[in-house]
Amino acid sequence: MPQTLKLASRASWLARCFPELWPDSLLKSQARVLKKTHKTLEEMPGPSTMGFFADLFCKKGLSRLHELQIEGKAKYGPMWKASFGPILTVHVADPNLIEQVLRQEGKHPIRSDLSSWKDYRICRGHAYGLLTAEGEEWQQIRSILGKHMLKPKEVESYTGTLNEVVSDLVHRLQHQRSLHDQHVVKNVADEFYKFGLEGISSVLFESRIGCLEPTVPKETETFISSINTMFVMTLLTMAMPKILHQIFPKPWQKFCESWDYMFAFAKGHIDKRMAEVSEKIARGEKVEGKYLTYYLAQEKLSMKSIYGNVTELLLAGVDTISSTLSWSLYELSRHPQIQSALHKEITSVMKDNLIPTAADVAQMPLLKAVVKEALRLYPVIPGNARVISDRDIQVGDYLIPKKTLITLCHYATSRDEKYFSNPNSFQPDRWLHKDGAHHPYASIPFGFGKRSCIGRRIAELEVYLALARILMHFEVKPEQDGQTVRPMTRTLLVPEKEINLQFLSR
Amino acid sequence: MAAPGLLRAAASSCRRILLAAPAGAGRPNAGPRRLLHVSPRPSSEDKVTVHFVNRDGDKLTAQGKVGDSLLDVVVDNNLDIDGFGACEGTLACSTCHLIFEDQMYEKLDAITDEEMDMLDLAYGLTDRSRLGCQIFLKKNMNQMTVRVPEAVADARQSLDMSKNP
Repeated sequence: MPQTLKLASRASWLARCFPELWPDSLLKSQARVLKKTHKTLEEMPGPSTMGFFADLFCKKGLSRLHELQIEGKAKYGPMWKASFGPILTVHVADPNLIEQVLRQEGKHPIRSDLSSWKDYRICRGHAYGLLTAEGEEWQQIRSILGKHMLKPKEVESYTGTLNEVVSDLVHRLQHQRSLHDQHVVKNVADEFYKFGLEGISSVLFESRIGCLEPTVPKETETFISSINTMFVMTLLTMAMPKILHQIFPKPWQKFCESWDYMFAFAKGHIDKRMAEVSEKIARGEKVEGKYLTYYLAQEKLSMKSIYGNVTELLLAGVDTISSTLSWSLYELSRHPQIQSALHKEITSVMKDNLIPTAADVAQMPLLKAVVKEALRLYPVIPGNARVISDRDIQVGDYLIPKKTLITLCHYATSRDEKYFSNPNSFQPDRWLHKDGAHHPYASIPFGFGKRSCIGRRIAELEVYLALARILMHFEVKPEQDGQTVRPMTRTLLVPEKEINLQFLSR
Repeated sequence: MAAPGLLRAAASSCRRILLAAPAGAGRPNAGPRRLLHVSPRPSSEDKVTVHFVNRDGDKLTAQGKVGDSLLDVVVDNNLDIDGFGACEGTLACSTCHLIFEDQMYEKLDAITDEEMDMLDLAYGLTDRSRLGCQIFLKKNMNQMTVRVPEAVADARQSLDMSKNP
């Protein structure tokens, strides 16, 4: 019976895409099959609650959550249920099924309504930002931010600001490598955290905060370590049953302290920028700016909401940029031929120009393929989620009751050999010549739809500008041949240990 | 499971070949109006009339200004196309997917990688598909007809959820 159902759902997919190929009779018989046979959550396979709890807390399961996706799929098939601490969640690990979920997400998609991030904001009386808001409140912020962050023309206008930050990054890398006799920069992710924070700050405040100076300000270091702590504690506090919070209060306390620091950091910068604007107005000078905080203030959002949003945007621009750049360079260092082809592409577009623009990187298909491939192997968000709050939905053979947390296993699908040949090897070429196995929902590192990554276009531009310029200046090699670094989950997917790379002058 | 992927890839590579023409080739200003079989009667010089064939086959006709996107035309005229333009023209979804007539499709401006990637995720993709938010009205588009692809035939329509509390 399951085989029949699989065939039926394949037929349904084909029929939807190519209706002319499918006779009506086949469509109708398939509809009958689906109607009769949808299964319930009770029938869904999955590990026992205690078994999964042991996996999470005793076998380093929290940092291996991405691998548990692949193990779960091998054991139970493309859909299974598991109790993540007190939360029952349905895992979906096939691109066709992920597509089905996303197409039914509704008008105001919800990522997860059981979030410790929300609990913290309620607890402190802070406003929700774009990551935590829901419903009409979310829609209002999304519309405002989307206008300034996603529209291609708007994004292009950040090129100059971002390029200044990239220049500082190149200087910083020069400085760091000069400290080592083999020109090795230790722990590149650390350098790219600073780059990420400086980049998003320049977009938000149009002012620089000195993350890439030889001596990094203390508050910058603390901000970055607060993000790290917060992400570690996010999973822990969500997976811990309430009763355990009373016995072990530390995780929740540390989680709150990290957020407190981040909110204070953002508030400090916003207040400073607002004070400068008020002074200008008081002096009768014209105020203009090309930075997000200014736009938010223009939109008559409350200060509380601006604090909430800017805090979330700041933290969202750090790990994401850092991981993507680190993994891209890590893989390029291990694939000198690809690196050399990419260098050739960059120099042929740039000719005698030294600083790539948005228009330049748009003409670099291999550069984009390299980033797509890095994000396929190391999706920054290894697993995303959706909650459909107002109705039951059908996904595959199952009827999923409303309000169920649905985990989208992006890591598992982006390393599934059904969709990517040699799934664990770095082959950017596959994005330039998509083969028959290609499925557009198998690798969607930024998500899809109206709740997808708001920073996507700025992040892409930032990464392209940085990678192109780094490769114009340096040839990047591994510190030691044959040394591998694996990813680990810390809510986001990050390198398990330091990535050390040799930066040789071109 | 290779079959759907193969067909998708076929549709996608087909589009790629069609779109591989140089950016300048077939620019709309080269397109004579008489090819469109309909005599243009714009209310003023910069108004462009567009016909949308909705999912149920109904024809919706609306006007926009040169430079407006097709999404703007749908929104400004309150055209009733369910779920159209969910991300408000920010290239984050593919719900403003439209299918063009051959002649018009070939005259559209070249597609960007960003639009191509989003279109790849669209439902009911064809080799004459584009995203309405990225197509900006030009005079030679007057009286063109675009088709809204059929809706996602998801499970909601075959199951009455109210009976499954």
